[in-house]
Amino acid sequence: MRRREFSLLMGPSLVVMLGLLVIPLVRTIQWSFQEVQYGSPGDWVGLSNYTHALTDPRFGQAVFFTMLLTVIVTAAILVLGYLIATGMNGLGKLRPVILGSMLVAYVLPNIVGAVSFSWLFDQNFGGAVNYVIQAITGQDILWFTQTWPNRFMVIAHTVWHLLPFSMLMILAGLQGVPMELREAAKIDGASTRKTHFYVIIPTIRGILGFVCLITIMDVLRTFDNLIPLSPQADAIGNESIMLYVFDTAFRDGSQQLGLGSAVNVLSILLIIVCLFPFIRGLLKEAKAKA
Amino acid sequence: MIAETITAPSGVKVRKAATVRRRRSGSSRTVAVLLLLTSLLMLAPFIWTALSVTKPTDVAFANPPVLTGYTPTFQAFVDLWETTYFAQYLVNTMAVAVMSTIVALVIGIPAAYALSRFPGYVSAILLLLALVFRSLPRFSVVLPMYEISRALGIYDTTFALAAALVAINQPFSIWLLRNFFAEIPKELDEAAMIDGCTRLGVLRRVMIPLMRPGILTAGIFVFLFAFQEYLTALVLTDTSSKTVPVFITTQLGQTLPMLQQAGAAAMLLTLPVIAISFVAQKYLVAGLSDGSVKG
Repeated sequence: MRRREFSLLMGPSLVVMLGLLVIPLVRTIQWSFQEVQYGSPGDWVGLSNYTHALTDPRFGQAVFFTMLLTVIVTAAILVLGYLIATGMNGLGKLRPVILGSMLVAYVLPNIVGAVSFSWLFDQNFGGAVNYVIQAITGQDILWFTQTWPNRFMVIAHTVWHLLPFSMLMILAGLQGVPMELREAAKIDGASTRKTHFYVIIPTIRGILGFVCLITIMDVLRTFDNLIPLSPQADAIGNESIMLYVFDTAFRDGSQQLGLGSAVNVLSILLIIVCLFPFIRGLLKEAKAKA
Repeated sequence: MIAETITAPSGVKVRKAATVRRRRSGSSRTVAVLLLLTSLLMLAPFIWTALSVTKPTDVAFANPPVLTGYTPTFQAFVDLWETTYFAQYLVNTMAVAVMSTIVALVIGIPAAYALSRFPGYVSAILLLLALVFRSLPRFSVVLPMYEISRALGIYDTTFALAAALVAINQPFSIWLLRNFFAEIPKELDEAAMIDGCTRLGVLRRVMIPLMRPGILTAGIFVFLFAFQEYLTALVLTDTSSKTVPVFITTQLGQTLPMLQQAGAAAMLLTLPVIAISFVAQKYLVAGLSDGSVKG
């Protein structure tokens, strides 16, 4: 392909991304060094937004909550995804039905799933889960106003939403494990547990790493589902980083746009660090081809 | 959120039905039952909402929950239609989804084709940038877009929202399409060009017909992203171009009938998604595990 043809085909897409992604991003970086409001030029204040963010206990709490959510959800999704995929792998005719019902949770608008979840749990909405718990233990759990029950609900929803993706990817990985490998393990007398831990899991570790990365990045930007699930997120310490950005830079007026932008820049840096192994892999591949 | 799939290690494909037929044993039946229960559990929140919105308003959210002894009703849907601007919001949501899907494909297909055929560093770096942009925190581009759209006087228009979503989903579309293009052998291009096709001719006459499943997959994904988008719509719209997901959350803090209407709106938004999950399952699976996967 000639250079001229390349630019011609690439052009429209590049223009759109330059105008609507790169320029806004530059603006965010610029804002992060300013005290500024929407539509005004703003004053340069150096690193003060960054020091403010890093010393703000509310931001610290948001980072803590987001990390907690990320660790628990990622672990749960890997384990459950692996178990379900293993079950699915031996399944015949039923597979499309089960796959379809699981996919619904994944492609559903996040906000819709979260609303449904909140109704399932809370007594204010005659929730079934709350009713069952009350019937068994006699306790009435306040899912929206108590920190840990609320965390549990948010974690449950996030796992529910992201599990189908991980299950699907792991299932694809399992199907790539050669039959001979399983048979060899069996002939050598490995138990089912040992076959999984020493044969299958090491074979699909690439996929597991990938699922892990995607899940981490998804959970790091938790935002949508907290709107219905945690209306008092800030007060009970269940605010995510993205919700913090929204509150400081948009919802409460634009008083702290600079602060919100600084947090955005910090999250971008974090994401690039997470992506680093993939970036290196791609660069290697490009070098090999060139 | 499905927008976040990046690249996975190579060689992944979900094969149709089990390649090895297993004998039906007791344990495999147990597994089947467990999986059916799991999928029922996955659908539970959704079934619960369906129940809540078809109850009469006075028992819809009663505690303890009322499960029998009421006459199912679609009153909440009727009220939703008659007392709110739901129809308008639905039109907005559809308009944004359709516009952004068409534009994303029209500019994304040539770009992905170019990236799959142009060797060397330029393509690699562009793909890498696409990867980074695909994983950016939304607010880092959406908040400046808010300011820009106000300055240009297009704030709160479906056009602005569709344009924003085209840009936000463009990196994903390009990756997905490029991976599909990469599977088509380059010899095909060369043969067509020897026969007198120009580059554009190759794309139009040879590639696009061959790529139909890939394009359909990308189209479904971009459509779904736009259809479900909440955050971007929340920031870039106000009253006149509000979309259904934003409408649902604004109803939440309100009185019971409005809450029930929010549930009805949520159900209506879910039905097409369910249809896609079962009817277009093949394309969804391809997009998640095949197309978006290979580096």
